[in-house]
Amino acid sequence: MTPGLRKFALSIHLTASVGWIGAVIAYLALGITAMTSQDSQTLRAAWFSMQLIGWDVIVPLAVTSLVTGIIMSLGTAWGLFRHYWVLFSLVLTIFAVVVLLQHMQDVNYYAAIAIGTPAATTGGLRGELLHASLGLLVLLVIQVLNIYKPRGMTAYGWRKQQEQRAGRTASGAAVGEGS
Amino acid sequence: MSQTDSGLERRSPPGTPRWVKVFGIMIVVLVVLFAISHLAGNGHGPMEHMHMPPTQQGMPMP
Repeated sequence: MTPGLRKFALSIHLTASVGWIGAVIAYLALGITAMTSQDSQTLRAAWFSMQLIGWDVIVPLAVTSLVTGIIMSLGTAWGLFRHYWVLFSLVLTIFAVVVLLQHMQDVNYYAAIAIGTPAATTGGLRGELLHASLGLLVLLVIQVLNIYKPRGMTAYGWRKQQEQRAGRTASGAAVGEGS
Repeated sequence: MSQTDSGLERRSPPGTPRWVKVFGIMIVVLVVLFAISHLAGNGHGPMEHMHMPPTQQGMPMP
């Protein structure tokens, strides 16, 4: 991956990842508003907005973050399975995306009930807030891992590093003999 | 005798760092709690509404 392409991919990855966190915080704000409101119109509006933000903002950002993260890992020296922090980020992101996609079916269900019935209730909102809060926690953990990049190489990463060192030594010796 | 990454060349892979073990345990606990919470059907499972009729899948028009 060329430096220009790497920076472009990194820009998209950072934008999507940080945007995902921001969108979940906005989603939580809507959920808390709906939970604490006694007004059925506010509740309906909140469910409609949560469904809209979920499908049109959070899901695209989540998928973009996952895909660009994989591209960044494979296109740079970090690799996908060489360092523990990359591996944990990958596993947690896949976990978050899978739970999100499954959970959005619930959001469809509750939003349809809230919008389609005259007396909307707060049913399902507690689960919503729990999912969104745990999701936000997972995203923050991933962000911290990506910023601090704690040391720790997997056995696979160590083997690859040894192979690369051996290759460099061999090519250096060949150059030395040729000159 | 201990060796560091920057020191003598290793003949075996480095040990697993402590933070990796802690994180691994936390992730396993998280996944187990998630699975238990949904298998128990406590009212917010993601697959809980897969049995709903197709008319309720989408958002009705106002």
